Amino acid sequence: MKMKHYILSVLLLWTSALFANGIKSGAQDVKVTASVSKSVVGTGEAFEISFSVNGNIESFNPPALNGFQVVGGPNQSSSYSSINGNTTASMSISYDLVGVKEGEYIIGPALVVVNGKQVKSNSVKIKVVKGKAVPQGNQRNAVPQGDKVAEGNSIDISKRLFLRAVANKTNVYIGEQFSVSYKLYTNIDLVDNALDKLPDFNGFWSQEIKNNSQNVQWEIETYNGEKYHVATLKQIILFPERFGKLTLDPLAMTFVVRQAAPSNDPIEQFFGGSYKDTKYKIKSTPITINVKPLPEAGKPEGFNGAVGNFSIGANLDKSSVKANEALNYTLKITGSGNLKLLKAPELTLPADIEKYDPKVNDDIKETMTGVSGSREYSYLLIPRHEGNYTIEPLKFSYFNPATGRYVSLTSGSFPVKVAKGDPGSNVTAYATGGQQDVKTLAKDIAYIKTGNPGLTKDGEGFYGSALYYMLLCTGPVLFLAAFGYRKWYRENNRDVIKVKGRNANKIAAKHLASAQKQLISGDKKAFYENVYRGLYGYLSDKLNISAADLNKENIGEQLKLRTVNESIIDQLTDTLDLCEMARYAPISGISEQEVFDKAKTIINDIEDNA
Amino acid sequence: MHNRLNHFFYSFILLVISPLFLCAKGNPEALFAKGNSQYAKAQYKEAAQSYQEVLNDGYKSAEVYFNLGNAYYKMGEMAPAILYYEKAYKVTPGDQEISLNLQLANLKIADKIESVPEFFLTKWWKSFFLFFSAQALSGFAVAFLLLGFALLIVYLFAISISIKKPAFYAGIILLALGLLSIFIVSTQNSYLNSSSQAIVFNGTVNVKSGPDDKSKTLFVIHEGTKVTIKQNDNNWIKVELPNGNIGWVEVIAVKEI
Repeated sequence: MKMKHYILSVLLLWTSALFANGIKSGAQDVKVTASVSKSVVGTGEAFEISFSVNGNIESFNPPALNGFQVVGGPNQSSSYSSINGNTTASMSISYDLVGVKEGEYIIGPALVVVNGKQVKSNSVKIKVVKGKAVPQGNQRNAVPQGDKVAEGNSIDISKRLFLRAVANKTNVYIGEQFSVSYKLYTNIDLVDNALDKLPDFNGFWSQEIKNNSQNVQWEIETYNGEKYHVATLKQIILFPERFGKLTLDPLAMTFVVRQAAPSNDPIEQFFGGSYKDTKYKIKSTPITINVKPLPEAGKPEGFNGAVGNFSIGANLDKSSVKANEALNYTLKITGSGNLKLLKAPELTLPADIEKYDPKVNDDIKETMTGVSGSREYSYLLIPRHEGNYTIEPLKFSYFNPATGRYVSLTSGSFPVKVAKGDPGSNVTAYATGGQQDVKTLAKDIAYIKTGNPGLTKDGEGFYGSALYYMLLCTGPVLFLAAFGYRKWYRENNRDVIKVKGRNANKIAAKHLASAQKQLISGDKKAFYENVYRGLYGYLSDKLNISAADLNKENIGEQLKLRTVNESIIDQLTDTLDLCEMARYAPISGISEQEVFDKAKTIINDIEDNA
Repeated sequence: MHNRLNHFFYSFILLVISPLFLCAKGNPEALFAKGNSQYAKAQYKEAAQSYQEVLNDGYKSAEVYFNLGNAYYKMGEMAPAILYYEKAYKVTPGDQEISLNLQLANLKIADKIESVPEFFLTKWWKSFFLFFSAQALSGFAVAFLLLGFALLIVYLFAISISIKKPAFYAGIILLALGLLSIFIVSTQNSYLNSSSQAIVFNGTVNVKSGPDDKSKTLFVIHEGTKVTIKQNDNNWIKVELPNGNIGWVEVIAVKEI
């Protein structure tokens, strides 16, 4: 009985305890709280609303979520904890919402049935403002973990992660090739990377060295005393195109760095620990290249900007062809330098050989040591006429930056024998009959004048000079003088008698001129002879009788015919006799002067009368 | 010993003096020939110097101007080339080579200025009166007039009618030709020398609206352009371009032809 009592009391106790417990839990306050992650959100921005209950939810009736778009949920989470036998349960239901329109919204209470009891939650006020236009999707593409990754300050990590641009030369000539490598140095864990900006090589002609393998080759290198993993990202050969200080822009990249986050949770640490992904924007340091101009001194004629080290070889496939058949002339430039920038050298050909634009064959490799290989120009030549031609040596000059000097190379010259072409093979559009216009090859100024310069002193030009005007006046003046003279002459000669008288003296003087000379010199014999001759000459002229036919008789007759006085004729005869005599014997009784005057008078008298 | 010293002394004097004489007696014809041979050897700078010396000695001729222009052209200096071609043109305007070179030089300057087109008769008349140089025309005029009057004098005194008649007509014709030559030479002279022209020598010249720096820039002309001088004002000249534009430039920017 006693035993029975004991069991009963235990059972009672148990149940009472149980009951007491039940009463206790029933009396516990059931609370439903509504909470939001943000109370002010932008349109399009997601936020979370959660309803948490400290009990078992039996049924949940969500409030109307007008004005919001449900993008996730309901998500249910529950937790139980038992402390000192006191078990508490809590549950929460959450929704992810997006505000659609601006404004103030009140999310009404949710009805929750907990432990058979209906409980209402509190209401929540949400303010929706105009959201930012930044679309979040973009960042997600660049860095997949973008939305979870924090932006880091790149200075913090510059010792552990950086980019370097390494140029093999920083002091170059225009056109001289040099290479630049962009290298990534890191000793940190990288999750992801994205290229932000490739440098644009302003002022350079760039040639990237192609990498055959897709994967990045990592090497270990010690830099500034630290060991790094190094990857070469890009290798570029650059040719400066202008001189001066040129800057290579930095290469910009974004890296996501994974770093262990300090955690208290041993379990988390056990599973590799929690980590933090941080985004860093890294730029390489810009480098300055000092580009020198090519020296002017010794620049060869026809220099085309080739810089490097080259050799040339020319070749002509045939040395004798028929007219209108094709020839191939090949020029090969081999070496390293700006081969790809070379201009086709000017080939000077005899004008009768037609030249077509050259075909260019490149065999060029890019390596870290530079661009090298060969370039081949092949010209198609067609001689149009027969003859012996010479293809002049081709001159190619380049600048060797290693020696700082220009080098001129000359190819060989090739003789070409062109035989007469087959008839009808002339396919060009020359005019029929084989004629063609003379081609103008170039225009140049006329050559200098090399003859007599015809120099004149300043202000001594003939035109406008005193001499010019004087000569101009000479003509009219002379003419006027001549005209005046003629007038005067005519006036004077109108009276025949007067004229005769005036003329007589002159005639006498003329015929007796030599006699007068002898009179002055005193040679008597010659004097008389001259008087004699003078008289005879006068009479011969006057009577128009030749001197040979002249004698005293026909003088007398002729004078009589001209009605000359007898006395004058006598005087004349006397004088002539006297002169004749004086030639053989000396004369006395009359002086020479008297004889002379007498002869003169006779001539004058005859002139007056006849 | 004395003799030897003397000898040395004289040869020394000769050595020192003779080059001086050579310089002083720079015979202009010889200088011109020297310039020509330098030009032939493509020593354009030296050639230009030789020609310039001829000019500096006070001599001038179309040939010297022309060759000097050529030398400057070959050196690539278009402004002096044009200046000297223009000077040569003034002396012998009918010379084809001068016109050709002047044209080619004008193609190489920065400014292309279209001149106002001329009526064809004016053009013919111009090419007619510019065909002979003033030198030649004045020679013609003097010769025609002297010969014409001589024939007229013959006409006055000749007795035979067979001489008198042709002498009279030939004389009249020659007189007419002489007068024509005088007319042409004076027309040519007034055409070439009435307006003074200049060539721009500065690389870029701002043509202003008035004779001072503060005036507005109307347009810009460049080296080698020919302008006509209209007016002078201190250090400024009023110029007209062949296309009719007018403005003021500083006198140092140009060189008168």
